[in-house]
Amino acid sequence: MKIFKKKNYGQIYTAPLMFWITVFFVIPILIIFVFSFLKKSYTGGVLPQFSLDAYGALANPQFVKVVLKTLFISIVASIFTVLLAIPTSYYIARSKYKDILLFLIIIPFWTNFLIRIYAWIAILGNNGFVNNFLINIGLIEEHVQLLYNQWAVIIVIVYAYLPFAILPLYSTIEKFDFSLLEAARDLGATKFQSIMKVMIPNIKPGITTAVLFTFIPAFGNYAIPEIVGGKDSVMVGNIIANQLRVVRNWPLSASISVVLTVLTTIGVLLFVQLNKSKTDEIRKIKEDV
Amino acid sequence: MIGGEIKVEKINKSFGNFQVLKDINLQIKKGEFFSLLGPSGCGKTTLLRIIAGFEYPSDGILYLDGKDILGVPSNKRHVNTVFQNYALFPHLTVFENVAFPLRLKKYKESEIKKKVEEYLDLVRLNSHKKKYPSQLSGGQKQRVSIARALINEPSVLLLDEPLSALDAKLRQQLLIELDTIHDKVGITFVYVTHDQQEALSVSDRIAVMKDGVILQIGTPYEIYESPVNMFVADFIGESNLTTGKVVSVNEDKIVKINTEEHGELYTYLDKPVQVGDTLKVTIRPEKIRIATKKPENIPPNTNVLVGYVDELIYTGSETSYFVKIAQKNVFRVFKQHIVYFMDENPIKWKDEVYIWWYANDGFTVEVTK
Ligand SMILES: Nc1ncnc2c1ncn2[C@@H]1O[C@H](COP(=O)(O)OP(=O)(O)OP(=O)(O)O)[C@@H](O)[C@H]1O
Ligand SMILES: [Mg+2]
Repeated sequence: MKIFKKKNYGQIYTAPLMFWITVFFVIPILIIFVFSFLKKSYTGGVLPQFSLDAYGALANPQFVKVVLKTLFISIVASIFTVLLAIPTSYYIARSKYKDILLFLIIIPFWTNFLIRIYAWIAILGNNGFVNNFLINIGLIEEHVQLLYNQWAVIIVIVYAYLPFAILPLYSTIEKFDFSLLEAARDLGATKFQSIMKVMIPNIKPGITTAVLFTFIPAFGNYAIPEIVGGKDSVMVGNIIANQLRVVRNWPLSASISVVLTVLTTIGVLLFVQLNKSKTDEIRKIKEDV
Repeated sequence: MIGGEIKVEKINKSFGNFQVLKDINLQIKKGEFFSLLGPSGCGKTTLLRIIAGFEYPSDGILYLDGKDILGVPSNKRHVNTVFQNYALFPHLTVFENVAFPLRLKKYKESEIKKKVEEYLDLVRLNSHKKKYPSQLSGGQKQRVSIARALINEPSVLLLDEPLSALDAKLRQQLLIELDTIHDKVGITFVYVTHDQQEALSVSDRIAVMKDGVILQIGTPYEIYESPVNMFVADFIGESNLTTGKVVSVNEDKIVKINTEEHGELYTYLDKPVQVGDTLKVTIRPEKIRIATKKPENIPPNTNVLVGYVDELIYTGSETSYFVKIAQKNVFRVFKQHIVYFMDENPIKWKDEVYIWWYANDGFTVEVTK
């Protein structure tokens, strides 16, 4: 059996995975990339002719506005998500009922994503729970429009991705040595200072992951603004869908996708790099020693 | 720096139904090196954490320099702690770890630099100030945590088994260093340990604890030479125990007791006893002589027993012999090797030996009527 040299085993084992990634990930991205440089056909598909039309169309100030809006919504939503996720994960990590609480965090995943978004219509709608509650306690007299604006989108994004932020944060906070907080207090720090100056820097990898796990899906989101958003909250994902299905300009939706992917990748790399510099510093010193 | 005086008054502490500290009373003097010594789980850490402000007693009062400080949060107490696991901040360099308390107080950069270097010099770590805690050895980490705890110039430094994670040699070395630092800074040290050797060697006074109760407070000498009960006698150093009934009481505070295993023995006594009382007597192994020949010219009231060497442990500077007497009781005897190599016939395993000690070297720990 000379064919099975030892070093080839790894490749053999990973072959199914490689196949999977190639067929379902790399090839679709390549198709999108290629389509973005083709000419639009009037029947809705693409013509096999090289063209930069799709990228030219991106210079449209309207489109730039949508990108900025998408950035705004994603950043605000990520900030809120992480701000909520840190105390939640801290609480879970220090609780006696860790297992039960983690289980509760995961339960929403048993329900379909779209149904969970639609549920927010029942909560925030004109006849929804929040409106009725506020009327009942006499805070407002008329129904207020809570849905179909960017804040509804932000609320639902926070809701949808909170578990994705909690889980990585939980796993780093759980490993955090809480006696360090006592040490900080002992040395003169207030409770708040001990959290900010000792815990936060030590759970940074968890915060980075939580931000990425919220920001990336938020930035490319389509369903949430579609269902609970309004005129002020059109996101890049909606434009892509619109170009693809309604306008049927495939090259344009492909070019937007490419831009979105490139922007996200650059953003993520920058963010990770910024957060990594500290660890690199440590490594460098280690090598010096 | 000026040391603080701690007074612990009737402190009790329970976790749920479990009472960890029972009616603790202590007075620790300014500048004293005070040790809390006791077996694992006796409540040493809990008492220390109450002094530090991490734990609140169920009742009792705690004074620092005459002021009740139980209501003062830990960050406001002039007390700092050296933790057993060092508790260094992993994201900060040695320098920044030590500078941490100063940065909280918003010291000027130049002052921080001066002061941190001064304290790093004190623990001899200035050459490592740019390293991160993960790059330090255990002993170095502990030194950083000592410098960090001292830089606030507390009036009391609490140390919770600071050396227990280090190996024997390093422990010895750091202990001496701690003693030197104590002499230099002059503040009060409260040192928690379960190692009696450590406590004996550096403390001004020691409190021996067991099951949440303080059994005895005294100088190392008092604790070693006059233990208040069997537990203390046994916990501090080694001791041989024998029990007997008083047969007669002498003028010179020497009593004759009748023991089941060894017949009549003489022992010193400073407590009033009556004929018929039962005494528990301890004899420290280093106070017993051992030889293969019957001792001659011994003073009166010397106890002489015959047995054979059941076991011997050579430790370099001394040998400890386990001498079995009358097939029953085993006496432990230490012999220092002052002139060992000149010994013509060293004592060997299974040899028949004579052991003897003076009545004054027996110490009565318990008297029962
Ligand atoms: N937070 C707590 N909750 C419940 N029980 C506790 C708590 N902290 C300590 N105990 C119990 O109190 C007792 C004393 O603990 P403590 O840590 O003070 O002992 P110690 O003398 O420091 O022991 P060691 O030498 O092992 O460190 C132990 O039986 C311990 O289980
Ligand atoms: Mg302890």
